[in-house]
Amino acid sequence: MAAPGQSARPVLVCGEVRTCLLPSFQALDGRAAAQLLRLRADEHVRVSERPNLYVLSPEVLTGVDCRLPTANGARVRAVGTVAARAALTEGRVLQATAYFSAPATGPDLRRPWGQYLVRPGLVEPFGKLPEQATAQGVLRGAGRGELDLGMIAEGLLAGLLRHPLLDHKAPFKSRRTHLRWTARRAPDGEGPALVRFTLAEDGLRSMELRLPADTPAAAAAGLCEDLALHDWLLTTVVHMLDNSRLGAADGPSAVLALRPAVDHLLHLWMPRAHVDRTLGHLWDELEREPGFSRQWHSLVQRIRDQLAVQTIPLLHQALSTR
Amino acid sequence: MTDVVFRETSAEPRTQAVPLSHLSLELGHLYMEDFEAGPKRLGEHFAEVRIWVEAARASAARRAGANRPRISTCFLIDDYFSRFSTPAELVPLILKEAEEAGLTIDYLARESGCAVADRIELAESVMHRLVESPPPGSYGSRPPVSRTGWLANGQRSPGRGAALSEVTAWQPPQETAARNHSVFMDVELWSDKDGRRLWSCPFLAAVWQLARLGLLRHLGEPVLTPKPWDGGDFPHDWDRLPPLLQLNPEADPFSAYRTCTLMPNRFLAVEDAVRLVLDQIDVDARALEQVDRRSRGERVEVPAAVAQRASYVFYEEPAESSDEGT
Amino acid sequence: MLIFAASDKGGTGRSVTSANLAYHRALSGDDVCYLDFDFGSPTASAVFDVPDARQAAEDRGLHSYLVGEVGEPVRVDVWADTEHRVLRNRPPGSGRLVLMPGDLSGGEFATDDDNLRRCVDLLLRLNSEFDLIVVDLSAGRSYAVDMVLEATSLPEMRGVDARWLIFHRWTRQHVAAAAGLVFGKRGIVAGGVARGHDEDALRGSIRFVRAAVPDPKSALWSQVSATQSAWMRECDRDLKQLASSHGIGYSQVLGAVPLEPVLQWREQLITDEDVLDSQIANMETWQALSDLAGRLTDDKYWEQA
Repeated sequence: MAAPGQSARPVLVCGEVRTCLLPSFQALDGRAAAQLLRLRADEHVRVSERPNLYVLSPEVLTGVDCRLPTANGARVRAVGTVAARAALTEGRVLQATAYFSAPATGPDLRRPWGQYLVRPGLVEPFGKLPEQATAQGVLRGAGRGELDLGMIAEGLLAGLLRHPLLDHKAPFKSRRTHLRWTARRAPDGEGPALVRFTLAEDGLRSMELRLPADTPAAAAAGLCEDLALHDWLLTTVVHMLDNSRLGAADGPSAVLALRPAVDHLLHLWMPRAHVDRTLGHLWDELEREPGFSRQWHSLVQRIRDQLAVQTIPLLHQALSTR
Repeated sequence: MTDVVFRETSAEPRTQAVPLSHLSLELGHLYMEDFEAGPKRLGEHFAEVRIWVEAARASAARRAGANRPRISTCFLIDDYFSRFSTPAELVPLILKEAEEAGLTIDYLARESGCAVADRIELAESVMHRLVESPPPGSYGSRPPVSRTGWLANGQRSPGRGAALSEVTAWQPPQETAARNHSVFMDVELWSDKDGRRLWSCPFLAAVWQLARLGLLRHLGEPVLTPKPWDGGDFPHDWDRLPPLLQLNPEADPFSAYRTCTLMPNRFLAVEDAVRLVLDQIDVDARALEQVDRRSRGERVEVPAAVAQRASYVFYEEPAESSDEGT
Repeated sequence: MLIFAASDKGGTGRSVTSANLAYHRALSGDDVCYLDFDFGSPTASAVFDVPDARQAAEDRGLHSYLVGEVGEPVRVDVWADTEHRVLRNRPPGSGRLVLMPGDLSGGEFATDDDNLRRCVDLLLRLNSEFDLIVVDLSAGRSYAVDMVLEATSLPEMRGVDARWLIFHRWTRQHVAAAAGLVFGKRGIVAGGVARGHDEDALRGSIRFVRAAVPDPKSALWSQVSATQSAWMRECDRDLKQLASSHGIGYSQVLGAVPLEPVLQWREQLITDEDVLDSQIANMETWQALSDLAGRLTDDKYWEQA
């Protein structure tokens, strides 16, 4: 009677990642990070120390029964669970992701709840899923009463930010970024592809992927978190450079304003460090255009040059007072 | 391409599998009042249970198909809500009465083991796995209208509105999965008194079902695992009795694809509440997957939803219980 | 840092003055966020001259957020969205100036655990993003005051600095009322202590702002007769004595804003153009606002008396 778990192959995966600086004076070490992300007492937090410190929480579920966001206004009710997880990189950058997969069709009746719970992260449409419209709707953002991935990610993030480990004395102020992403199933025989990455205003980014049927949704989420992390680094350091008014303000104070970047951010750049091996090459697209790493290296170079320039007068001073 | 040179164990946690029978058959649940009614009453229970055991075994054999059906039996003693007697006194008595009825108890469990076993807060962990069934209109806002310590099968009657101006007429509660009319149920999961949390009977019974279904893990390790009995005397203190004791060395594995529980019909409401709880627990995904893979390997169909894996026989209480009153 | 702007009565210029303080801080390079917690009568969109915000906040403002109807309250980028001719040109070196409007339809509501949690989440989140967060609270011992007193008493907020500005007019009634709002039996201090605030710390984080103060020495009053002038000085002296006897004397005052027709009548931000070019506003007012804005974060003014 009940459809077995395997029949519902997802054709669409959608998610949202929110990325922010951990509001703590000091970066957390691996143990503290694991404590922060221990969303469940009985489940492991994944801690990885190579090539950088990366800690990933277990997943928690949120039950939903509502309309899907659709670009064309189609009203499609869907029921299931949205998975959410949090990651902390180098004890400094905190991310929360909410994501779900959806099959092409679903039953016209709501099943007993326990049947949804055994397929975590799956949201079933009533009837046929308007794939394209839903993907676009998710990227555009949920309307009132529509499945709201941002709200679920935010809920997880807010819970973490209330943790007693955090002192809310971050070394500098910074904005969050939101990355909304969708992954439609790639035609049989084709590999994964990054179709589009869009930089919008107010820290909003969107990304469209095509993934083979056998790519786990969690792997897609991992890729998006990695891209979101690096996009946040770029966004944050660019903002810091803008605010420092390098060139306009007097040298030492401008350099002082850049100090947090040196202390807390410059060592974090490490594309695809924890991305599933089958998806790592999708980074190449963004390296070609616009050139994420190219921009980063240029920013880093600029900061280092400024630091070097500022040391020259000091050097002079030191030499002349001899 | 698939060869991985570098591994980090803390980055790839493992989940250990547990051996599985086809059926975990519970022969009874002993509360203080049953004990106080004397050994004869216990004997009556077992005599009645015996009849249904045959039926349950036959059903399990049919489902097992060509395989030899692996069936383990268990018996649960309440030492959580009230403490009575001692294992040294009670356990031999139970075993004797069961044997006289022609029954073998493979595993003996203490109810407090469902709250805390081997210093692991089982009930607490399971509580953190509750994912409430969303009423229609739930789009991701944080826990719907949850009332701490309670779990329902639908939407409660709205209480007094938070907005000061709102005065609303009474509205009925609604069962989410209602067909035409609601059967609304609201289950108390625990109570807090004097700083101590007392888990409710249905909640502990839900943990007990998960243990029997092989779905409990703590950091990837099985919990509430059976300790073998050395055949010696039973201790004089409940705390010194292992939470789950394997009495029969020849027994099939404790955990199973399905459970069947035989109990007097006064427990019907409690067990309905247990199903309500089970239906809203997000059990360990890897444990679930292990059961799934294992059962498909054996060509045994297991219901997808966890609550569906538990079945019951509610029998009529032996006569004298109603005569004696409480 | 959080700045809570409170007053016992309406008409103290609380909203317009605190909005001006936010504006001054943004001018000097801070990222500033202004929250309109005046749920009864949200005015901030008028002060910042962002009519679009009124529409946007129809049902997506702070009120809807706090009662859980929307996941995030609307944000209005004042530099970008204002219709104010001068404000539209964001000066180089200035910080962000963001307005979170209240809802048009939102009334007061009782604080429950969920509202409170959302309030804490919002304040924590804004604290990581902005240098200064100005929270305009509805007048009197409102639910808004209770909510933020409760929120700031929670352990998760311990790392976030919070200061209170109590606005009052320079009259006998207003002085007494302002003292009552803070030190009265049901006052902010008592309410804070009941929620677990440390009394000395809370007292130390409260300062008064005297609004609409006529300065007898100012040019505005240079034409008055000698008798009037003497009378004014006497009243001023009496008021100072009264304030001091109510515990809100000089050491408790962060600053005073002169009686300024532009603030009273137009309820808008005073720009440098208003002072220098059109000269509709007084230089003293601009200076007073600028001083006040600077003192918000100057610890010298917040040391325990």
